[in-house]
Amino acid sequence: MIIGASVLEDVARAFLQGLPPGTVYALVALGFVLTYKTSGVFNLAFGAQAYVSAVMFFKTRVEWEWPVLPALVLSVFVMAPLIGVVLELLVFRHLRNSSAISKLVVTIGLAVALPSLAEIFMGFETQSGRTPEGVLDQGASVFYDPFGIYAFSRNELVAMGVAVVAMVGLGALFRFSALGLQMRAVVESARMTELAGIAADRVSASAWALSSLFAGVAGVLIAPRFNTLSAADFFHLGVVAIAAAVVGGLTSLPKAMGAGIGLGVLIAEINTFLPRFAESRAWLRPIQDNLTPAIPFLVLFGVMVFVPAIRRSRDASDPLGGVDPPPMSIGSVVRTRQQVLVRAAVTAVLTVVVLGVVLGRADQSWMYLVTQAVVLATIFLSITLITGIAGQISLCQGAFAATGAFTVYQLVERYDLSALPAAFIGAGIAAALGALLSMPVRRLGGIWTAIATLAFAYFFDSVVLNLPFVGGGETSLLTGTSVPRPLVGPFDLADDQAFLVFCVLVLAVVSVVVVNLRSGTLGRTLLALQGSELGSQSIGISPARSRMLAFAVSAAIAGFGGGLLAMQQEDVNYASNFSPFVALVWMVIVVSIGCRSVGGALQAAGAFVLFEPVILKGALFGWLFRDPERIPDFFPISGKWVLVLFGLGTIMYARHPEGMAEYGAHRKAAKAERRRRAAEDRATAVAVDVEVAR
Amino acid sequence: MTAVLVASGITKKFAGIAALIDAGLSVEEGERVGLIGPNGAGKTTLFNCILGVTPIDGGTVTFDGRDVTSDRVDQRARAGIGRTFQRIELFADSTVLDHLLIAERVRNGSGRFWKDLLGLGRPTAAERERADEVLTLLGLEELAAEPVERLSLGQCRLLEVGRALMTQPKLLLLDEPSSGLDRVETAALAATLREVQQQQGFAILLVEHDVDLVRSFTTRSYVLDFGHIVSEGPTAEVLASDVVRSAYLGDMEVPT
Repeated sequence: MIIGASVLEDVARAFLQGLPPGTVYALVALGFVLTYKTSGVFNLAFGAQAYVSAVMFFKTRVEWEWPVLPALVLSVFVMAPLIGVVLELLVFRHLRNSSAISKLVVTIGLAVALPSLAEIFMGFETQSGRTPEGVLDQGASVFYDPFGIYAFSRNELVAMGVAVVAMVGLGALFRFSALGLQMRAVVESARMTELAGIAADRVSASAWALSSLFAGVAGVLIAPRFNTLSAADFFHLGVVAIAAAVVGGLTSLPKAMGAGIGLGVLIAEINTFLPRFAESRAWLRPIQDNLTPAIPFLVLFGVMVFVPAIRRSRDASDPLGGVDPPPMSIGSVVRTRQQVLVRAAVTAVLTVVVLGVVLGRADQSWMYLVTQAVVLATIFLSITLITGIAGQISLCQGAFAATGAFTVYQLVERYDLSALPAAFIGAGIAAALGALLSMPVRRLGGIWTAIATLAFAYFFDSVVLNLPFVGGGETSLLTGTSVPRPLVGPFDLADDQAFLVFCVLVLAVVSVVVVNLRSGTLGRTLLALQGSELGSQSIGISPARSRMLAFAVSAAIAGFGGGLLAMQQEDVNYASNFSPFVALVWMVIVVSIGCRSVGGALQAAGAFVLFEPVILKGALFGWLFRDPERIPDFFPISGKWVLVLFGLGTIMYARHPEGMAEYGAHRKAAKAERRRRAAEDRATAVAVDVEVAR
Repeated sequence: MTAVLVASGITKKFAGIAALIDAGLSVEEGERVGLIGPNGAGKTTLFNCILGVTPIDGGTVTFDGRDVTSDRVDQRARAGIGRTFQRIELFADSTVLDHLLIAERVRNGSGRFWKDLLGLGRPTAAERERADEVLTLLGLEELAAEPVERLSLGQCRLLEVGRALMTQPKLLLLDEPSSGLDRVETAALAATLREVQQQQGFAILLVEHDVDLVRSFTTRSYVLDFGHIVSEGPTAEVLASDVVRSAYLGDMEVPT
């Protein structure tokens, strides 16, 4: 009897313990649902918006020592809605007829750009020791213990109270107010709502103001949970909370709230009881260590695979969408055979010249950067394949690349294999992983592929990475994850120049493979599927098979590239090379420069690695003036501008999915065509004049 | 004559509401059959059940002597069921020729991954020749290099027919081909279709609202109402029967 009572008490204590983190998940999940309901956008930038307000609040409270009220008013009630309105005005208003995928990509771009932009303008750096404060005085140090078994801090109580009030208030807004109804109507069809005499633009601006305000509230309430304010943590939290939002089908506020709290409680209960079971059962112990971080992703995958209603919520299009002009055709520029040859020749000559200069003149650090760009270009080609050709947004290319890198590390470390065959094995394992992942994902389509791959990336980050046979466990903490460079025949790739030449050759081969795949059966099948899944099936194309192949090949390319990157740096360097947030930035840069062409991937890699040292640090000016001393004073510019520029570049993607590079080529081709026609017209006119003169 | 398609006892419920109850139909080889009925009768649902787009709650679909009830859409397509769509389902950003070439590649099944890798996956001369044949047949040869975004609705419908023809179907399902087209365009489409069908001898199952088109194009028709097949027979008789008048045409004037 006594044992029973103590178990019950433990259950209750774990329940209470799970409430505060559950509330945090619930707040973010409510935010996802709110934005999705009021704007039709699955807003992955929600965490970023919350982060911006949290930073502002930190700045005003801690650094400028403002009182709570003005700090709160500025960071939450003024700045947050303002950001929402600006986003609506400049970005989302113009994307109403874009596909759900394009909108999602834009929010990912914003998730990358917004925090950097805020940090630049507020002069904020993520540093340990900068512990955020709650809204109440001594919020983290004064406790209340209502039931005598678990004590809540003031901050936690405020967060829980606000979450409940928000859920009830927002629920009432949707159910009883005209504005709530109008917001939902605008999401369904902006044009139709306008015909009913409602200013759709104003309604959607207020929708964005509202959801952004809520992001601000959530940001300030959530911040005290972290020891250090960092955008990556906020984004990670957002990914965890997606599980709760998805349980509510992205539309139910109470379900999202319940699922968020349930998630927190579930984790707390498991943390309380699993160690007791595992104590006497040795086989449970490795599971115990990794179960907690895995739970949100297991829930998310479970819901996506087993709840059929999710699949049906494909993006609905505005029934009056046809009123607006259709989006521009996004096919690549049609080039004549001669143009193709000329371009190939120019590329080859340029490559040789640049390679010659780098091999002959560059010092070690520039050689390192150029090599890194070449290796990343190989990885980026995997994005060209999966996003540009197969039309799927995959956010776990970093995990695939890391799989390749860790395979090389493990095989070299344990079996003394040469790094090169190990890289091929790594590519194979990544391919198997990609094929496996494509199975639950392939039926979902649309934004769900992006969400599932994002969840996988974080699952890899928080669970798989910790397994000893992947990340190396404790050994790697002591000795690092070093990867030696291999010997290839007579060439020792430990020599930087030889390694660079080797990487260029690999890049050339992978480029040819991607071009061949695109013009071959697989590429044309995937383009057909992207154009119309139903139409493709009607001629006998199996979407599952084609997508699985695309995922596998893309993962293999990423995996091989990951192995190369580890060889280049002679270390896996997971956190700086392959973490989920880094992979987001890859996707954002490739997509904004051009994910449909091989050239786009190469330029993106160049931009990713070299934009900061060459442009922002002013090296380009140094070269132009042939004197490093004469670099103008306003250099170096913050490296965060790379994230801001390319993050905002995704807005271009939504309007011109072919990317900046190809869009430029389009415009040039159109201009040339106009000029040719004008010349023809003039010639005809002259001919007619001559005729008349006769 | 043997039946190329037999659907029998098809039952389909959506959230407990029966959209189809024990519906069945059959199409003989080379036959042109119509499927008509008022809005909401279940025509499209029956169509989707035959194609495997929607899973069925009961009944069987036999195609070309083989039970295809549990086959996927693409498997049925490869077995020889071609179709067009009421709402155009062409491949965005592809040219007219691309549509036919990929359909031919899927049909002849010569696509291999290793061929793609080695750059041998591009369209072959033989495939281009077949595509050109179909383009000529449908009078689309001028438009071969045009992206589909530049086509008119009528041309889109023709291209959908062309894409389906590339798969060499034994049965072609046409889903309201006249919707969105005017009289002249509909007549032109019907003429082209009849010509091609007589040349190649495949069967056609036509779902259609346009009574004139059904009358002139099909030899036999089924009438669907509230999920039941209420009438079946030679088209002229079916259209004149009282059952059809009351169920489908209501008070509409039907010139006989």
